[in-house]
Order: sequence, then structure tokens, then C-alpha cells
Amino acid sequence: MKPSRRHRLGGLALASPPLILVAVFVGFPILVALAYSLGQVGGLNSTIGTIATEQSTVDAWYKVTFGAYRTVFADPRFQRDLVVTVLVTLATTVIVVVLAWGIALYVRLSDSWVAKILSALAVVPMFIPVVIASWAILTFYAADGFLRSIAAHVGIEAPIWGYTITAVVIGLVWTNLPFATLMVVSGVQGVPDALIEAARDAGASIPRTVVSIIAPMALVPTVIAGTFTAIGTLGAFTVPYFTGPNAPKMLGVDLADYFQSFNLPQSSVVMAIVIFIVASGFGGVYVWANYRSAASSGRV
Amino acid sequence: MTSLPTLPATTTPTTSDTTAPSTAALPRTAGRGRGPARLVGPVLSVAFVIVLGLFVLGPLLWLGVRAFATNWTYPNLMPDGWTLQWWNTVFQDPNLQSSVVLSFQFAFVTMVVSAVLCLPAAYAFSRFDFPGRRVFLIGLFATNAFPRMGLFVALASLFYAFNLMSTFLGVVIVHVLGTVVFMTWIPAAAFSAVPRSYEEAARDAGAGRFTVLRKVTLPLAMPGITVALIMSFLASFDEAQGTYLVGNPEYITMPTQMYSLVLNYPPQVAAVFSILLAIPSAVLLLLVRKHVMGGQLAEGFQIR
Repeated sequence: MKPSRRHRLGGLALASPPLILVAVFVGFPILVALAYSLGQVGGLNSTIGTIATEQSTVDAWYKVTFGAYRTVFADPRFQRDLVVTVLVTLATTVIVVVLAWGIALYVRLSDSWVAKILSALAVVPMFIPVVIASWAILTFYAADGFLRSIAAHVGIEAPIWGYTITAVVIGLVWTNLPFATLMVVSGVQGVPDALIEAARDAGASIPRTVVSIIAPMALVPTVIAGTFTAIGTLGAFTVPYFTGPNAPKMLGVDLADYFQSFNLPQSSVVMAIVIFIVASGFGGVYVWANYRSAASSGRV
Repeated sequence: MTSLPTLPATTTPTTSDTTAPSTAALPRTAGRGRGPARLVGPVLSVAFVIVLGLFVLGPLLWLGVRAFATNWTYPNLMPDGWTLQWWNTVFQDPNLQSSVVLSFQFAFVTMVVSAVLCLPAAYAFSRFDFPGRRVFLIGLFATNAFPRMGLFVALASLFYAFNLMSTFLGVVIVHVLGTVVFMTWIPAAAFSAVPRSYEEAARDAGAGRFTVLRKVTLPLAMPGITVALIMSFLASFDEAQGTYLVGNPEYITMPTQMYSLVLNYPPQVAAVFSILLAIPSAVLLLLVRKHVMGGQLAEGFQIR
């Protein structure tokens, strides 16, 4: 069935409302913000440009300045927070993917009660709003929290994790676990039984089967889980805002501070763009993984 | 490039429960005798369950108990006494009450607006092959890659220009933006999973295009659509930062209220409020739990 030209345009018309919405309220503001970060303070940026302090500006539409970027990158606080943000993102992503794989393998290879409980537990955070989760995690690991209380009962002085980067990683792992687990479980479940049995009959051990058969076939869902976790973590605000220390902060919190508290919106926008560029790197991996899977099953 | 609902080997059957394929199809030998439970030992399995259980549920219980506590002295594992006074505080505070009502209003309006805008698009992404289809589908995803907080900062200029600051519409726009990806991707995957042969059979039997959509396609795609509807209701219900930046001080929803509660009220009040805020999420997600776990969500995030 060859779609007619009218049919194709009809499809585009039906698909356009969310595209237009995103173009107007996401794409366009990002372009305006990009122009602002390069020194343009006319047009839509005139309000923000009038209120803001310490801006790098240009006097004509065709000029750009990288002054704002130089200022931000020269700021030792930003340098430190960028490193911390990337490290927290990597740690969170690795922990989430490892946990999701552990649970997925249990579910795939064993039908015990352990598998059922694990998969149910991993989805619980999806049922809880992030604001509450952050607050709950903070109180749990605080100076007078559960961890320290129980340790005190057995005579150990446990560390205070509330308001530390450790608490931020714990909170981000907590909130990202359900999505990653659902993705990886779905991918691992999709590996046909026949392939696993064949490998086992040929004498492959469980770890060997996992590495050679299951892992390659569940690669795409794993990459999707990892990229979504990484992207969500890079720009995270609520979890680090509630559970994190005053210094170092994650960039998501920094850019809110620079905008609201320090009245430095240009620096704030520069940080948002830096996060976006790093996130696009992760996003590229996601697109590549999807394309690869589409190509290998003949859908492109 | 076609959008035919070819289900590749790496896909779970979308309609079945997560645990179903492994328990039903896997032979006993793989399930019991050589499973990882045997490999790493039952002790480690139980330890894994306890640690994960403590990690996931511990903070929630620790916070939940606080809502009924008079006071709590470190390092006791239980509060000093029990009371319901904090619930009274919350129910008698008009500010807190209005934020509860407002949260439900925004969530409902967001869900409806998002569905009206995105469901036809989801159908188009699944059933039509138009130029730039895949690029657009990935373009929607870019809304996730730009940090939320940065987007709200960028939106501020636009909202001032359009007079959308501190308006109901402004808040709804911010909320809908957070739902576009779910509302397009998950139903699109659900539509793609409906076999075309069913639709063609109905067409051959004389049904018109809209009858086919109404009687065949929509009912079969309903689980995915329901998951998307509930996810977007909850996305709106949970949204705090954008609501604060755009809606403040006119529109204070429950999650936004949480930010100030934590700072200005005793911790027990924040605990009560947390429970109230978590109930709708938990109830709604329990309703669609089977479909979420069964792969509707996972399916939606694999671009076809």
C-alpha cells in the first residue's frame, strides 16, 4: 500500500499540534536564550536584559560575544560544580543500570518469590512524587535519621549523609530506578527461551549465557535506560535541592540560584546550555542505539 | 521506512504481564535447578531483597510514621508518642486546602489538553508515513534533554511578552510541555502494536475509517493510552519548579507548597502533606500497574 501524497500530508497535519507546541514553547525560547547567552539583549530579551546585572552584551544583531561563557567557565564554583554534576551523573547511571540488570536477570532466570518481590520493589518509586521522595530520603539519612539511629543502637557511629553528595546520588538512584528497571526487564524478557536453552544445552554457564546471549540482545533497552537516567540526572533540580550540600551543588540547582537569588540570568542560561550540550551527547547515544536496532530488524 | 507493527525479537508481547513469559514458557530446568538463586545462594538473595526493600521503602516508612508522631528523640526507633494533631493542622489551613484543589484542577486540565493535542499525533506517527516522521519523533525527545530549570528560565521572557506569567493558562502550558513525550510516544507504540490486518478486515467488512478507529484500533490501543493519560496526570500533579516560577504567587499547587512547608512548618506537617500528595499517585498507578509492568511504558520509548 503506497501512501498517497494527501495521506502523507494528512499525517503531518495530525502530528503537528504537539510539534508546534514544542517548537513555540521549547525550541523558540531555547533559541532566544541562546541569543541572550551570546550577548543579544534586544527583542524578547529586553525585559530580562534590563533587570539583570553583569551581562556581556553586543550592540548589533549580527554580532556575538562569548563573554558570558568566558565568565562562567572562569568561575571556580562553576568548574567544581560541573565536575561534580558529571560525576554524580555517571555514578547514578552506573548504579541504576547495574541494579536494573540484577533485577532483570532474577526475573528472567528464576521464577522464585525473590524475583517477584524485587521487580515489585523497584517500581515503587514511580508511585511517589519526587518532592516527597527527596524529603523522605533526607530525613532517613539525616543526623537523627533511621540509618544513624539503628547504628547507634548497635554502638556504631554511622556517617551523616543528609545534605551530602552521597544523599544526592542515593536520591537520584531512587527516583530513576523504576524506569530503568522496566526498560531492562522488558528487554531481557524479550530474549527468546529457545536461545537461552540452546546456549545452556551447548554447555554455557549462566554468566556465559548472560554475557554472550542476553546482554547483546537487551543492549538497546539498556542504552535507553542509561541515557534517560543520565539526561534526567544532569539537569536534576528537586533531589539535589532538598538533599544536597550548599557546596558543591549540582548545576540544576546552580542555574536556579544564579537566576533567582544572584540575579545573573545570563550565567544561568549559559549553564543550561552547557548541560544541554552534555545531555545531547548522551541523547546521541540513545538515537544511535534506536537506529541500530531499527536497522538490524530491517525497519529503516 | 515503514511504520508497520513488526514486533522484533527483542520485544515483549505488550499485552501480557511481566512475569508471565518467564514463568509460563521457561522450562523447569532453567527456572529452578540452574537459576541464579542456586548460583549465589539463598542467603545472598534474601540479603538483596532486604537491602533493596530498606533502600526503597525505608525512607517512605520513616517519613510516614512521622505524620502521627508527637515528638521524636534520637536515637529512638519509634516516636515518643502518637497524635493526629498534625492532620488537623493541615485540614484546617485554608492555604493548604486550596493548593490541594488547585493541584487536581491543573492535573485534570493538563491531562485533557495533552490528550487532545497529542493522541491524534500519536496515531499519525504510528499509521502515516510522512516526511520527517522520525526526526519529529526524536525532536520531541529533545524537550527532555534541555534541563527543566533552564527551560523555565528561557520561557520566562516569552511568558512576560505573552502576558502568561501568573496565569492559569501559563501554568497549564508548562505542565503540558512535561507530558508531550509520554503522551505521544506511549500511545504511538500502542497504536503500532494493533495488527493492521485487524483494521483491514474491518474495512473489508464495510466499516468506514472512523468506525475502524473507534471499534477496532482504539479499544486495542487503550491500555497504552490509559498509561499515558495517567502518567501525564501525575506529571502535572508532581510538577513543582515550573509552577513555582510561572504560577507564583497566584497559583500554589501541592508540590510547590511542599517547598515552603519543609522550611516553615514542623516536619510532621510536611509528613502529613507528603502522605496526602502521594495517595493519588499511588492509587492511579496501581490501577495501571499491570500495563506499566507489562511493557507499555518500555515499548513507548523505543522509536520505530
